[in-house]
Amino acid sequence: MRRAGVVALNTFREAVRDRVLYNLLFFALVMMAASIIAGQISIGIEETVIVTLGLSAISLIGLLIAVFIGVGLVSKEMDKRTLYAVLAKPVRRWEFLVGKFAGLVLTLAVNVSAMGIGLFLAMIYVKPALERGDATVLTAVYFIWLKLALVVALALLFSCFTTPLLAILFTAGIYIVGLYVQELRNMPMQVMSRGMTLFTKWLSYLLPNFENFNIMAMAAHSRQVPGTLVAQNTLYAAIYCAVVLAAAVLVFSRRNLK
Amino acid sequence: MKTAKTMVLMPVLLLAGLMGVWKLQHTLDQQRAALSEDRDYVLLSSPKLIKAVSLEYAPLMADFYWTRVVQFYGNKHVRGDANLQQLWPLLDITTTLDPNLIVAYRFGAIFLSQRAPGGAGRPDLAVRLIQRGIKANPDYWRLYEDLGFIYYMDLKDYTKASEAFLEGSKNPKALIWMKVMAAKVAAEGESYETSVFLWNDVYTNTTDPQIKENAKAHLQLIRAQEDCRQLDLLGGEYEKRFGHRPKGVSEFVDAGMLRGIPSDPLGYPYTFGENGKAALNPNSPLLEKQQFFERFQ
Repeated sequence: MRRAGVVALNTFREAVRDRVLYNLLFFALVMMAASIIAGQISIGIEETVIVTLGLSAISLIGLLIAVFIGVGLVSKEMDKRTLYAVLAKPVRRWEFLVGKFAGLVLTLAVNVSAMGIGLFLAMIYVKPALERGDATVLTAVYFIWLKLALVVALALLFSCFTTPLLAILFTAGIYIVGLYVQELRNMPMQVMSRGMTLFTKWLSYLLPNFENFNIMAMAAHSRQVPGTLVAQNTLYAAIYCAVVLAAAVLVFSRRNLK
Repeated sequence: MKTAKTMVLMPVLLLAGLMGVWKLQHTLDQQRAALSEDRDYVLLSSPKLIKAVSLEYAPLMADFYWTRVVQFYGNKHVRGDANLQQLWPLLDITTTLDPNLIVAYRFGAIFLSQRAPGGAGRPDLAVRLIQRGIKANPDYWRLYEDLGFIYYMDLKDYTKASEAFLEGSKNPKALIWMKVMAAKVAAEGESYETSVFLWNDVYTNTTDPQIKENAKAHLQLIRAQEDCRQLDLLGGEYEKRFGHRPKGVSEFVDAGMLRGIPSDPLGYPYTFGENGKAALNPNSPLLEKQQFFERFQ
């Protein structure tokens, strides 16, 4: 596990060297512009728009990083042939994968936390007095991070057995389907046969439900999130990541690297 | 020979081509200008579809749509354009995207319910919007106040207005005057005090300058209306005493019935028309506002 930690730290360092954290500047500019413009062109949503725009930006920037860097975690190492040098050392394949995953998740944690703090500062700027419900924004940022961890795991899984382009498409596809899981579950019987309805229902429970992590509306309206939801979402993300990573390890360990 | 022909033909073709492009661009501009009226605001009219394609960003999209509502209303208002038909679809989309966006219900209802050109003149839709807001946000008592306001001011349905105030007053957070208002409207229907109170509430609670200005104009007109009513009553007394209606408000002062010449909220003295009824001074800017609102009644 210590070796996985070393891989994780190196992945983090590499991301920093690749100027991944430069997006924070973009985020800061978006937030500043939104704080100034929203009050001028609209009515009564100065605070709401800061939260919705901030969380959307965090989610979108995070997704871009998670998908594009996540897919490249393995394929880049293979293209540059550095993977062979790493695996020649006493590092097992699963340790390499878990380390890569942890490294990117750590990068995202730093990124998302910095953006979350920026968002909170913007809120303090536009809101005269913060309420208890405003802390929901921090929970929403945490949920985004959980979601991104799941996306990284999926990207890593797909990148283990297919080309980077296909892996990006698969990850994006699963992510979008994961946002409509509820609709899939509530598909009316009249539209499909009974068997198909049961199958989609069964499938909807197996697919990652990304809507679980979406509390943007609650954060925008300063509604408090129950503690049980935080615990359940954390558990859901942890279990799902573990399952996807296990599948990725299984595929990667059988992969012919010659 | 062939080269000479080409040398002549080419510039002609070029010129013809450029002229064609120039003409076509004019036609395109006209077409785009005609299209822009409809194209401006609602391209996709299905709120559910928009919500579906918004992925997880529906609350942000709601903010964008709300800003479009404000811009649409503001642009039309500035131009004095009374056609606000697209206001409802925009509000429908906004509140579907974010059912908790209170501001969209509250201001949207005002935009919808006000008579044109101040609003769309559709209090029925305003009621629908507020009722939708109440369903999504049952704890927010101010929506009941808005519902009562629309029933009272625009639909003149005092029973329903009273019911709305009463329902809202059941919320523990509601201000005490909601209960008082429910009883007052149920007992008296439309009254000067109630109208002043409700408009005053809009005036003090809104942050939008246009709505504030509108509420102020209504408050001034309500006061002027009440003044004229009082002056007419006084005119009746004057007639009993002197056998004819007064020709001007100064006659009240001359007769010792008033201490000073009564004037409207903008300081212009009231007049008495040929029909013997009190009216706003022809020079008062309030008269213009009154005619403006009455034009669309």
